[in-house]
Amino acid sequence: MLDYDIVIVGAGPAGSAAALKAASEGKRVLVIERGPEPGSKNVSGAMIRKDYVTSIFGEDMPFERNVETIKVSLYNGNKPVNIEFHPDGLVTTGRLKFDKWLSSVSEKAGAMVIPKTTALKLNWENGIAKSLITDRGEVSAKSFVLAEGVNSLVSMESGIKGDWTPENSVQAVKMVYSIKKGDLNTLFNLPDDNTGMSWRMITSDPLVAGFMYTYKDSLAVGIGSPIKELVDRKIRPEKLLDDFLEMTGIAEKVKGYSLREYSAKIIPEGGFPDINVARGNVYLCGDAIGLVDPLTFDGITPAIASGTIAGEAAVHNYDKEIYRYNLMKDPEISKIAKERKLETDFMTGNKAGEYINMVSSMLEGWASGDLMGIRNTMVSNYRNLIPDLMTFVMRMR
Amino acid sequence: MRTEEKLYTLRYKKDDKSHLAIKDENTCLECTAKYGEPQPCVSICPANVFSWQNNRIVIGYENCVECGASRIACPYENIEWNYPRFGKGIALRYA
Ligand SMILES: Cc1cc2nc3c(=O)[nH]c(=O)nc-3n(C[C@H](O)[C@H](O)[C@H](O)COP(=O)(O)OP(=O)(O)OC[C@H]3O[C@@H](n4cnc5c(N)ncnc54)[C@H](O)[C@@H]3O)c2cc1C
Repeated sequence: MLDYDIVIVGAGPAGSAAALKAASEGKRVLVIERGPEPGSKNVSGAMIRKDYVTSIFGEDMPFERNVETIKVSLYNGNKPVNIEFHPDGLVTTGRLKFDKWLSSVSEKAGAMVIPKTTALKLNWENGIAKSLITDRGEVSAKSFVLAEGVNSLVSMESGIKGDWTPENSVQAVKMVYSIKKGDLNTLFNLPDDNTGMSWRMITSDPLVAGFMYTYKDSLAVGIGSPIKELVDRKIRPEKLLDDFLEMTGIAEKVKGYSLREYSAKIIPEGGFPDINVARGNVYLCGDAIGLVDPLTFDGITPAIASGTIAGEAAVHNYDKEIYRYNLMKDPEISKIAKERKLETDFMTGNKAGEYINMVSSMLEGWASGDLMGIRNTMVSNYRNLIPDLMTFVMRMR
Repeated sequence: MRTEEKLYTLRYKKDDKSHLAIKDENTCLECTAKYGEPQPCVSICPANVFSWQNNRIVIGYENCVECGASRIACPYENIEWNYPRFGKGIALRYA
């Protein structure tokens, strides 16, 4: 049987961060990845914080375009209210290139990465995992990191955590269109091939969070919507995306360009801190413990943060309470943990609809000089809505 | 654009063994009586993997995009949901 100090399941951002950390500390690390290569099974928007990633993985990160403008549109019916931000340090990237690069950095630090191999289950003895069984054989280790993403089958098989429910998960579908650089620049008023824009949209009925990101020579568009709502209303996610593209006018823009790729993936909306994060010498991180914001889809930063902490825990074989504490201490992770209540509010009932309608009417009132209207909206909603509202708008950046 | 045309954009290697299965077909009858058609698995799947034919759910696993939604949408936890083996299934390039 193969034997390593630490075995990691998944070569996504969380797994590669854990591998980099553990290998840098001199441990013998093996990463098991089910895809033919890292990234080939993974779906994101993706917009990420370049400085954060390079602070851990070093320079030369592959990316598509610098995001100089983020437009946020709140749809209340078919008329959106738009807000524009000019962020610093955000870039767009595709997962195959990105994850391959992350994984290669962990390899340079000494980790061994084996693709095309699916982890099936852990072998336990007295609450301690002894080995991991894969479809190509068994490997033993002193500790394990499960960085297996949202469909965390090994974690569930081990009884460390349960599955997501329709109430706390989002179904997302995405399409990438091939559009020549020059055409893309013209379509979205981009000054050059390195500058990009992002567009995030929210609709209230049904509750849909959408995105549009400019890549170098293509356009990524997608939506996410709570599984419960889709199932209850028998809405097909794919149809929802098609309708969404029509409503936002993106369908018109991509007319005549070919579809390059279609993909889908669920997004967890519940999880840390209300979830078990470890058992014995096995540590969970990233999407496996729900570290993603379901409205903005930001999950890569907390995946890397938690992966690094899991790698450290695996090196020192920390007790699970210490691991949990270390996760909680990290600003990227505690931010998500603190937003949980807000999230539950958004996803259930029609709270999201209320927020969106309120922002829309406030901003419309403001724009048209109807100050009394704004005052009324604010007064009538003061108690329950205003404080959360600002958080809502700010996190869309 | 039809779903099948969208799925054509994917690189795919077929595992000859299905990674998806229905645990108990009677449960699907119960589900259909309660939820009607399309059933939750049929309606949540973005790749037309599930279809209702002759009173049973038929699985076209080679269409699967491995998103995970059907497993969660099934009100009876009646879908056995695994990953394809040996790196098979979809291989994304631009997602
Ligand atoms: C449509 C969409 C848009 C998104 N947009 C953004 C965005 O713009 N910005 C952002 O920051 N985040 C975004 N996210 C969220 C982000 O993709 C995730 O939060 C992030 O990928 C989580 O990283 P991870 O390493 O935990 O999991 P993953 O990236 O899912 O990696 C898990 C890895 O484990 C492998 N694996 C799983 N099970 C096994 C097994 N049994 N054996 C072997 N290997 C296994 C998988 O193949 C995969 O490589 C988006 C998500 C979606 C669905």
